[in-house]
Amino acid sequence: MPVQIQYKAKDKLLKKHPKIEVCLKCNTCALVDPAVYANGFSHTNTFINNVFSATEPEKNPNIWLCVSCHKCEEICPYEVKPVEVIEALKDEAFEKGYAPEAIREEINQVLTTGYAFPIFQSLGYINRMRGNLGLKPLEERKVEEIKKIAGKTGLEAKMERGKAK
Amino acid sequence: MTAKYAFFKGCFAPVRLPWVEKAAYKTLGNLGISLVDIDEFTCCPEPVGVGIVDNQTWLAMAARNLALAEEQNLDILTICNGCAYTLRNTIHKINEDKALLDKVNEIIADTGHSYKGKVKVHHFIEVLRDDFGIKKLKNSVKRPLSGLKVATHTGCHILSPKEVMNFDDPFDPTTLDELVSALGATPADYDMKTMCCGWTLMTYGAREGSYKLLGDKLSDMKKAKADCIAVICPQCFYQFDMGQWIASRKDIPQYNLPVFFYLQLLDLAMGAKIEEVGYSLHKVQNPNLLTKLR
Repeated sequence: MPVQIQYKAKDKLLKKHPKIEVCLKCNTCALVDPAVYANGFSHTNTFINNVFSATEPEKNPNIWLCVSCHKCEEICPYEVKPVEVIEALKDEAFEKGYAPEAIREEINQVLTTGYAFPIFQSLGYINRMRGNLGLKPLEERKVEEIKKIAGKTGLEAKMERGKAK
Repeated sequence: MTAKYAFFKGCFAPVRLPWVEKAAYKTLGNLGISLVDIDEFTCCPEPVGVGIVDNQTWLAMAARNLALAEEQNLDILTICNGCAYTLRNTIHKINEDKALLDKVNEIIADTGHSYKGKVKVHHFIEVLRDDFGIKKLKNSVKRPLSGLKVATHTGCHILSPKEVMNFDDPFDPTTLDELVSALGATPADYDMKTMCCGWTLMTYGAREGSYKLLGDKLSDMKKAKADCIAVICPQCFYQFDMGQWIASRKDIPQYNLPVFFYLQLLDLAMGAKIEEVGYSLHKVQNPNLLTKLR
């Protein structure tokens, strides 16, 4: 009779991402994972294990340390694909209001200026530097079209729902 | 023959590293590769923020950018691993899924654009390697950077996922080493070559960890006797330059290892003086490097 292991903390994640069950905690991913450098992790107490075993995984602030470099996925001997799990958790966390303010700010920047980070308070400085190098000054990007897109996909409404709790 | 590309500058280079943008116009222009500005381009959008929290918006905004180049019958050239990742992942996802392509086109219909699936996205390093060619690149060198040992850092998002980016081996990338060698410099073989630069740890809350990561990487580069670092992604540049400067004031030893965007090295090898490549705007500068460049 096959042995069945019950992972209590993992049940919720396992239902959505059955491949997690194949994770044998071999810790190979920690050899290439930059998040191993974050406080509290090591090559035996790994970031991926932390993500997979949190009781309320979408509330786990560590998920935001993942840069989607896909190295864990490339090296995983069992094709667990942790990036898919982490990206799905980030999506859920955003919707429920657990995303860091920096993420919300960044999206706001993209939608209002067309740039991924704030530039307008320092535009004078940036354009002086660009002028010295013989480059055209930067201007606000035309964002009407991307605002239309965000309206249609519901991202603007999602931003409103996902305000930090 | 003049090759012509729609120049996708992204956000980071024009704002924080304008000398990199300048080096792109100048060096690629000198090689006969012409860059066309499209002012309507917006953020690609950035994959780790926008890309993950709303996949549909990510694909649609990227598809709009792709459509803008397509309308001018141009392929895209990027100078950022992140932009290459977003645009190429979008192509990979929507070109293979007709239903998704239709959905994305329905979303962007109001903007007056439509993506047809014809445009290709090239990182400048691929244009140099595949389209221009390493042999021709070698012939363009006027002042070989011999005597300079360079630690290359290819970065993450141009390498993975391998089946999408299709650029180099994620665990043993050699392209940047080959291109550095083409300029007459010697690539430094160091241990942590494929480890991330730590930019995300720095940005999203694990600063101490990112200092430690930088310390380990820089120490390995130093052990391999590198004189400087070469990168092909603006965020990696910023992390090795500004990040190193911040970390060396806090936790890690003074490695004083200057970093160059590959196009700056190309500019130097094509005869530019160090004063002309924006080096004075770098945070990390080392007088020993100037001696080696003479």
